[in-house]
Amino acid sequence: MAAPHFLTLDRIGKDYGAFTAIREVSFSVAPGEFLGLLGPSGCGKTTTLQMIAGFEAPSRGRITMDGRDLTTVPAAKRGIGLVFQSYALFPHMTAAENVAFGLEMRRVSKAERIKRVAEALDLVHLAHLADRFPRQMSGGQQQRVALARALVIEPRLLLLDEPLSNLDAKLREEMQVELRELQRRIGVTTILVTHDQSEAMALCDRVAIMQGGRIVQIDAPWRAYDVPADDFVADFLGRSNRLPACAGGGQAEAGGHRFALPPDLADRQGDILLTIRPERLRIGNDGAAGLGGRVQSRLFLGGFWLYAVETALGSFAVMLQNTGSVPHDEGAPVTLDWDAHSLRRLERA
Amino acid sequence: MNGRSNLTPALLAAPSLVVYAGALLLPLGGVLLLSLHGFDFEKGILPGWGLENYRDLLTDSLFAESLLRTLRIALWTTAICLLVGVPEAWIIYRMAPRWRGAMLLIVVGPLLVSVVVRNFGWMVLLGTTGLVNQVLTILGVPGAPFRLMFTELAVVIGLVHVMVPLVVLSVWASLGRLDPVLERAAFSLGASRLTVFRRVVLPNVMPGIMAGALMVFCLSASAFATPAMLGGKRLKVVSSMTYNEFLNTLNWPLGAALATLLMVAILTATLIWTRFVETRAMRRLGEVAEGGKGGSRA
Ligand SMILES: Nc1ncnc2c1ncn2[C@@H]1O[C@H](COP(=O)(O)OP(=O)(O)OP(=O)(O)O)[C@@H](O)[C@H]1O
Ligand SMILES: [Mg+2]
Repeated sequence: MAAPHFLTLDRIGKDYGAFTAIREVSFSVAPGEFLGLLGPSGCGKTTTLQMIAGFEAPSRGRITMDGRDLTTVPAAKRGIGLVFQSYALFPHMTAAENVAFGLEMRRVSKAERIKRVAEALDLVHLAHLADRFPRQMSGGQQQRVALARALVIEPRLLLLDEPLSNLDAKLREEMQVELRELQRRIGVTTILVTHDQSEAMALCDRVAIMQGGRIVQIDAPWRAYDVPADDFVADFLGRSNRLPACAGGGQAEAGGHRFALPPDLADRQGDILLTIRPERLRIGNDGAAGLGGRVQSRLFLGGFWLYAVETALGSFAVMLQNTGSVPHDEGAPVTLDWDAHSLRRLERA
Repeated sequence: MNGRSNLTPALLAAPSLVVYAGALLLPLGGVLLLSLHGFDFEKGILPGWGLENYRDLLTDSLFAESLLRTLRIALWTTAICLLVGVPEAWIIYRMAPRWRGAMLLIVVGPLLVSVVVRNFGWMVLLGTTGLVNQVLTILGVPGAPFRLMFTELAVVIGLVHVMVPLVVLSVWASLGRLDPVLERAAFSLGASRLTVFRRVVLPNVMPGIMAGALMVFCLSASAFATPAMLGGKRLKVVSSMTYNEFLNTLNWPLGAALATLLMVAILTATLIWTRFVETRAMRRLGEVAEGGKGGSRA
């Protein structure tokens, strides 16, 4: 990336006694970038965030922000806005008091404080609830207060630890849109931790996928989705079907079906493990060219149909757009078909 | 719903109610009745009823003096216990887990020592030739040695020693319910350690502090052994007067009246405390950040 780096983690590691939580993590964030930190539970996302915030000391490596080494800078002096997974609002303070806290710590004059608190609450559409205590607010409202509290200090870096995980699906989608818009408007460099891959893909400029204390891939969401670095990423970002095949002469054979390989795999010989996304598969009526199978089940998802098709190679998930045509019946014999360029090869079998 | 299920709570509570009535209300009622009898040194307890005992006490300057002393000692003890106990609980809470257990054990130490042994220890330390005065003399403090034994100071010291653990433990319980993430949130907003304690921790452990204060106050006001041993015969508190009437003068009705008045005094103080001090303190601490809000609250 050509942009200057704002935050850099240089070979960071973290041990808890004999247990290594973070093996080696290095990445850089450009100014104004929205980075997603993504991975299964226990992979070290929170630990990484807490090290950037200054609440855990790295066992190895260096963190620099704006060219300055953060190692000896205490959390209170880093000027980082942090939204905790549990919101961590002060229960004995009203929403406005919560938001004002960081400004008081910065000795902002009372008049200016009142003005900025009102602006921050406006930003998250909560001006009317300024005098409510956290216990009198819904989860989504509390979450927005937490966001306002982190933003009002005009942080140079915003860290969000699964901030939307406690919300219901609808509110969550609304908040995702609001969050993205807000981040664009203010232009604050942001790192979002989540284990929800669709959330990360929807919000972030780039996603870093972590596994077992390492970053396996860091890329734009669509690139990570379409060109996963390995097996793990392919499985983690969305669903994918495995297609074990036997390659030769630019073609491959699986379950009695011969098909073309994409150009980058054309010179492969012998056994090969391919994957294909559910939305890249097509279902044809019995007798058409393709891999033969039978509809096992179908789920109606509104805009989509999700089929499970049983074949000689196992069950395939197929996602078809709902075009209003008559769906395939359960139990009906069908064939599966795809374009060669939709096929990916997995690193490991 | 049938009638039985409505009776269930009462039935379930019955055993503890019986114990409560038997062990507390019955003796209390007995004391109250006893205090209404007269007394004569020749004839013992007189059968008639009357409020003479109360009239005598309430017009007695000696009683007024010792009641005031009792409350004064209890207040000082409570204040010092809070000043020592609250930070102590906080410091232990912040220690590494492996130290915490040992530290808590040390804190509750005074509770594990018999009251007599503990007070004898203080008598040795506080005597005119005791360790404290020796050290003060060596340091050349003007006026040393001081008369420390048989003063209200000695009583307060002895009481604080045994009462501090109560504050530490009740604040400790509140700290356990405090979300540790709150402190991190305050730090991330730029708060210093002291500010975090004052603005975030203290308001949230207020219930524990208030409960500890109440316990210490009640126990100090009704303490008997420590005032008797460290205060001596001349510094009377209400409980030692009561003891005296019951076991030396054998004027049980007067002793019973004393006990009743002490109980009423403590109950009154408790009520005033919970009604005014506690609610006010909680509200004030909850609104320290007054300046930061939009000022729209009526
Ligand atoms: N204080 C600690 N002591 C020992 N091990 C810890 C400590 N904190 C975290 N760990 C371990 O470090 C690993 C990473 O933890 P972390 O909280 O960063 O995971 P995470 O990716 O945030 O997971 P989740 O999605 O469940 O929040 C986990 O295996 C966890 O058990
Ligand atoms: Mg986590």
